[in-house]
Amino acid sequence: MKRLLGVALGVLTAIGGFLDIGDLVTNAVVGSRFGLSLAWVVVVGVVGICLFAQMSGRVAAVSGRATFEIIRERLGARAAGANLAASFAINILTLTAEVGGIALALQLASSVDPRLWMPVAALAVWLVLWRVKFSIMENVTGLLGLTLVVFAVALFQLGPDWGELAQQATTLAPSGTETWPSYWYYAIALFGAAMTPYEVFFFSSGAVEERWTAKDVGQSRINVLVGFPFGGVLSIAIAACAAVVFLPRAIEVSSLSQIVLPVALAGGKLALAVVIVGIVAATFGAALETSLSSGYTLAQFMGWSWGKFRRPAQAARFHLTMIVALLVGLSILMTSVDPVKVTEISVVFSAIALPLTYLPILVVANDPEYMGTHVNGRATNALALVYLVIIVAASAAAIPLMIATGAGA
Amino acid sequence: MILSDLLDQPVREADGTPVGYVIDVRFVLDGPPVGPLATPRVHGVLVSPRTGSSFMGYERVDVRSPALLARWFAWRHRGTFLVHWQDVAAIDEDGVTLARDARRWAPGYERPAPA
Repeated sequence: MKRLLGVALGVLTAIGGFLDIGDLVTNAVVGSRFGLSLAWVVVVGVVGICLFAQMSGRVAAVSGRATFEIIRERLGARAAGANLAASFAINILTLTAEVGGIALALQLASSVDPRLWMPVAALAVWLVLWRVKFSIMENVTGLLGLTLVVFAVALFQLGPDWGELAQQATTLAPSGTETWPSYWYYAIALFGAAMTPYEVFFFSSGAVEERWTAKDVGQSRINVLVGFPFGGVLSIAIAACAAVVFLPRAIEVSSLSQIVLPVALAGGKLALAVVIVGIVAATFGAALETSLSSGYTLAQFMGWSWGKFRRPAQAARFHLTMIVALLVGLSILMTSVDPVKVTEISVVFSAIALPLTYLPILVVANDPEYMGTHVNGRATNALALVYLVIIVAASAAAIPLMIATGAGA
Repeated sequence: MILSDLLDQPVREADGTPVGYVIDVRFVLDGPPVGPLATPRVHGVLVSPRTGSSFMGYERVDVRSPALLARWFAWRHRGTFLVHWQDVAAIDEDGVTLARDARRWAPGYERPAPA
């Protein structure tokens, strides 16, 4: 019974933890401009993150080594250092977007200017990182994030023309005045939103934090393979809500208030309150995960002691890194940059950085010296190679498309 | 000397002909035990004619999957050879110089079967 509860909790937090500001913004923007014609990318992204998280979780559980320890070991100090610089910078960008997301959601609830909320949000994130136990932190934000299910409920209450939505989802082409380059640009953005690298840093280091062993591989597989697809369904529901409300009126989503508008239209004040709780939980959870990831990556590269299972005094540089990362993110936000814009950029850069972490994990997941009998099977490797091609192609195409489309404008 | 003094260094033959770069250093654990491990001893250096990047572990002959990656790394480092440490004549700022009669060994190595 206790085991069953453990599995249920793991799956539920995986669903609630899947969505972050990147998924919210990108899916809503894409829904309002392209309808469901890019929903297939969410499916590709979810399968990809399942594969990637499952591999890195298994590597961490069996070998006891987290992602950046492996990258440093396999690539050597110099190449791994370049890798770290890129991954770390993009992680800070994501952290910035998440903290901005918390502030925007609190603004919706309070009408207080987000720049007043941002320092409060960053302080709250730091306090949780400093004081709260890893498992409590994960479970609370994950379970509260489940309230984002209200997007799926709202979609039904909006009473959409399901045939029309199905038609959009099966027409894999830009509609109306949209062009092919911007279609592919947003395809990459959606892919990057579903497969953000921090999720993998966090997932593998979390496995070490929670002291997984080879025995826990099965449980983690269930969490990922059940939880993430449900998270993907919620992503598509967000896009569908935007497609129903905004696409026919040719309104392009550019703010968080627009993202929640379909929910407010369908369910009124109560639904709006629920969705705000969900967004705060999702962005807060992701802000914790990205802060931790900045500490994990740097500490693992440098060989510092790391982890929330150690007291701050025993992992001082790890905690200091997180504080500095939060302060850097906060300073970026204080320039009055639009957090929604930061988010849009961060998901694309996430896609660009993905091969840097994917390839070393794939190599080590095949190394019998680390993995013993838990090396990748043939089917996993076949899928992993297909994704290697997709990930490298998306990474290579992102910058040219960004220039060609003026970042999707 | 630390590992970074060796890795990525250009390698020359005794007469100065460049032959490649150090891409890896191989150790043997056969010394007297220090703590849980035997004292490591440098066995030799792996020299690749092309790049300073590593083999990502695919020099071990029993690591073959995923097949495409294994082949790619083998192809990228074709012509890689192992030089025993006693055949390394000098190491200075300009790189590594091999002894006059340095023998080139095959880079692959078999992991001992797990006990």
